[in-house]
Amino acid sequence: MKIIVVGAGEVGFYIASHLAHENKDVVVIDNDDTALRRVSDNIDVQVLKGSGSSPVVLAKAGVESSEIFLAVTNSDETNIVSCLVADIISPSTKKLARIREADYDEYHENFRKYAPHIDTVINPEIEVVKTIERLMGVPGAADVGEFAEGRIKFIGVYLDNNAGLSGVRLSDIPEKTGGKRPLIAAIVRDEELIIPRGNDLLMAGDLVYFISEADKLSDTLAVFDKHAEPLRRVIIVGGGRIGFRLAALLDSKPIKSRIIEINSKRCIELAEKLNRVVVLCGDGSDQGILSEENIQDTDFVITLTNDEEINILTSLLAKRMGARKTIAKISKFSYFPLMKAIGIEQVVSPRLSAINTILQHIRKGKVLSSISIKGEQAEVMEALALETSDIVGRPLKDISFPKGAMIAGIIREKEIIIPSGESIIMPGDRVIIFARRKAVPGIEKILAVKLEYF
Amino acid sequence: MRWRYILNISGVLTLFFGLTMIFPLFVGLYYQDQSVNPVLKAMGITVLAGLICHIFFKSAKTESISQREGMAIVAIGWTAVGLFGALPFYIGSGLSFVDAFFESVSGFTTTGSSILTNIEALSKGLLFWRSFIQWLGGMGIIVLSVAILPFLGLGGMQLYKAEVPSPVPDKLKPRIRDTARVLWKVYALISLAEVILLMVGGMDLFDALCHTFTTMPTGGFSTKNASIAHFRSLYFDTIFIVFMILAGINFSLHYQMIRGKPLAFWRDSECRFFFGAVIVLTIIISFNIYGSVYVKAGEAIRYGAFQVVSIVTTTGYATADYEKWPAMSKLILLLCMFLGASAGSTGGGVKCLRVMLCFKFCYRELFSLIHPHAVTNIKIGGKTVPEDVMRSILGFLALYMGLFALSSVLLAGLGVDFVTSFGAVAACIGNIGPGFGLVGPADNFAQIPYLGKWLLIWCMLLGRLEIFTVIIFLVPEFWRK
Repeated sequence: MKIIVVGAGEVGFYIASHLAHENKDVVVIDNDDTALRRVSDNIDVQVLKGSGSSPVVLAKAGVESSEIFLAVTNSDETNIVSCLVADIISPSTKKLARIREADYDEYHENFRKYAPHIDTVINPEIEVVKTIERLMGVPGAADVGEFAEGRIKFIGVYLDNNAGLSGVRLSDIPEKTGGKRPLIAAIVRDEELIIPRGNDLLMAGDLVYFISEADKLSDTLAVFDKHAEPLRRVIIVGGGRIGFRLAALLDSKPIKSRIIEINSKRCIELAEKLNRVVVLCGDGSDQGILSEENIQDTDFVITLTNDEEINILTSLLAKRMGARKTIAKISKFSYFPLMKAIGIEQVVSPRLSAINTILQHIRKGKVLSSISIKGEQAEVMEALALETSDIVGRPLKDISFPKGAMIAGIIREKEIIIPSGESIIMPGDRVIIFARRKAVPGIEKILAVKLEYF
Repeated sequence: MRWRYILNISGVLTLFFGLTMIFPLFVGLYYQDQSVNPVLKAMGITVLAGLICHIFFKSAKTESISQREGMAIVAIGWTAVGLFGALPFYIGSGLSFVDAFFESVSGFTTTGSSILTNIEALSKGLLFWRSFIQWLGGMGIIVLSVAILPFLGLGGMQLYKAEVPSPVPDKLKPRIRDTARVLWKVYALISLAEVILLMVGGMDLFDALCHTFTTMPTGGFSTKNASIAHFRSLYFDTIFIVFMILAGINFSLHYQMIRGKPLAFWRDSECRFFFGAVIVLTIIISFNIYGSVYVKAGEAIRYGAFQVVSIVTTTGYATADYEKWPAMSKLILLLCMFLGASAGSTGGGVKCLRVMLCFKFCYRELFSLIHPHAVTNIKIGGKTVPEDVMRSILGFLALYMGLFALSSVLLAGLGVDFVTSFGAVAACIGNIGPGFGLVGPADNFAQIPYLGKWLLIWCMLLGRLEIFTVIIFLVPEFWRK
């Protein structure tokens, strides 16, 4: 499968690297020599210097023979024009574009229907706001994903030192909790991803990923000693695009929200657009303004400035001053391993969100959604079992599953089945698959319709 | 630097290389000659050594390797391949160890300098091995491994860059593995064409194969004592000239040509330069030797062209003893040794592209003296050459010249005469084959003193891996933690 990526920035780089690891043919186009050098030195892809919106460059990159075209530069305009040109040269290529400006929000559907025919518009900011909303909704969660239109949740929680389950063998959990056994898909311990078996132990400090039905979520969370607390007060630090989107979302909710922005002009703009949310003009990392706003009674402090170091430090400060939970926006992936060590449990990343969205759209077969786990070591995907694929009609134990992958759940109509070796997947079922990165190509193969290989 | 990992991969490469000895084994079995036993022994030792190295240095699988590690793997891999490739000669033909090693490295680096005084006395199996290693070394044993061994896929790029150090990197396919496969396919395809054409001219299969295996990598080993002069055939001379030129052209142009772009050669400015150089030099030399050496104009052109092409492409075949030619012709041929073939070809030398860019750089310096405020870029084929690429080319040239000077002084210090020291080092560092003086086309490298052979082995490796990959080991900074 050939994929063209326009833009060798962070998003382009990580998408290209992810795809190259899955043995796809990737061509990266960018204007900037240094960015291209970074790509060609680190990833096994082809690089091409030039403008992604130039027909000559696109033809040279072989857009005609490519299946997917991704425009992920920093500029919305470049992305749209690139898709337009790609659409003229090769209408059959699937096009995805990153478009961030909120003014375009209403037009995503039009972009799909008319001229550039962009199959999917990715707005990482919308995705990030959604993620924040989910994180606020699930107490104690470090990572939240949704499947089957939100009926199934995929949750990552850190196991506290005093949690009842720490030091317990997985197979012993039902005894401990009185019959309930959460479906644990993976454990991240010391930056290492473990796919657990029955006799593995849970340890304090583990990041445990599990799958749960939405309506039974609070029961499952209680097993991990995470209890729901009402959400009443929120402080947002940073009134940029994401900050504003989040504030606008909270504006209509019965939550006391405040947004702190340093730029007074921007504050006026925000105050004009927001009704119930209080706009505060000042430095979010200033202790004075935080204590003025009763930080010790705040449920969530969300730091969304453009400077990630400030986000991290402000989160730490807020926590120290008594805020219950914090969420920090971080873009640099290289910081992720640090977060737990310095005491930040919840982070969101527009880039990771963009990558997740893009990945789910380029999966072969009928993959409905896909979420990559922090540090991109593994992926959880929801896929439609197609009639002629290898996965249906046989007991699971007879399917040659790639190493490092497991089926975490089967959704049949309204019912959710926790699979065993004897379970048989029927055509039309949705399956939730957990896979290490290396196993992804193998998973794609068994999901794909066989006809594709003739 | 993860040395365990580096040695582990080098072990796999050695193992893989040992398996290629199956081909000379078949040849030996077919002709029922004395080579079967030594080749079998050599194969056993190589495979076993590779296996032991791989198992002993078992290390965790990694997803990527750094540039430094890539260079280390390639340098160690090439040394190992040179050593193990020498085993069939060492066991099978009574050569001293240094002679066998010299012959083997001369093969792999596609140099084609020989220490054998009577080539035809060698058994068929060993003769085949001698040619076959040139073929493997031409497109690169590491490139072949990247193409075939699946687990090298991710780190393959660093290895590829260390073995095929092109001034302007060129990836034919998005993935390095596919690029390596395409290159080997094109290489094999052109080789097949040459075998067929040689056989049409009446050469037997064995000689056709052996000579193809040394033309395509611009190697220069022949199965005959008199090299190509042995055949005394205009047809063969022409075929060899054509295929030497093909081998001296960037293989990505061959790929474009096969993909249906017939003007690819002409559109590439380096290729035009290469053709131009060959034609102009042939004309000058033919004029120079017409009358003084050859009476007929046709003969002057035939022998002039063959020698020029053979030296410029760094092949090293001979149909005439150019040492008996006038001084001007000899000097031009000596300079040709430095020029070399195109970047991305199997030829050695400095490479046309670097020479061209160096001329352009000099011109720009002069231009900016006249127009001190002018903003000028060095362009090739309409594209600007980045400043750092230019810098690395100048660094390469300085190192090439410096190492050439140093090595020839050292060789002279070992008691070799003036012209020979100069010629032998130029021929080895440029991967050509025959040099001047005692190592001219009619002689061989047998008389070079013991230490001198080691020095030349080092020169050949330097030339083949384009200096940096080999010399980096001598930089103290490389070893610092």
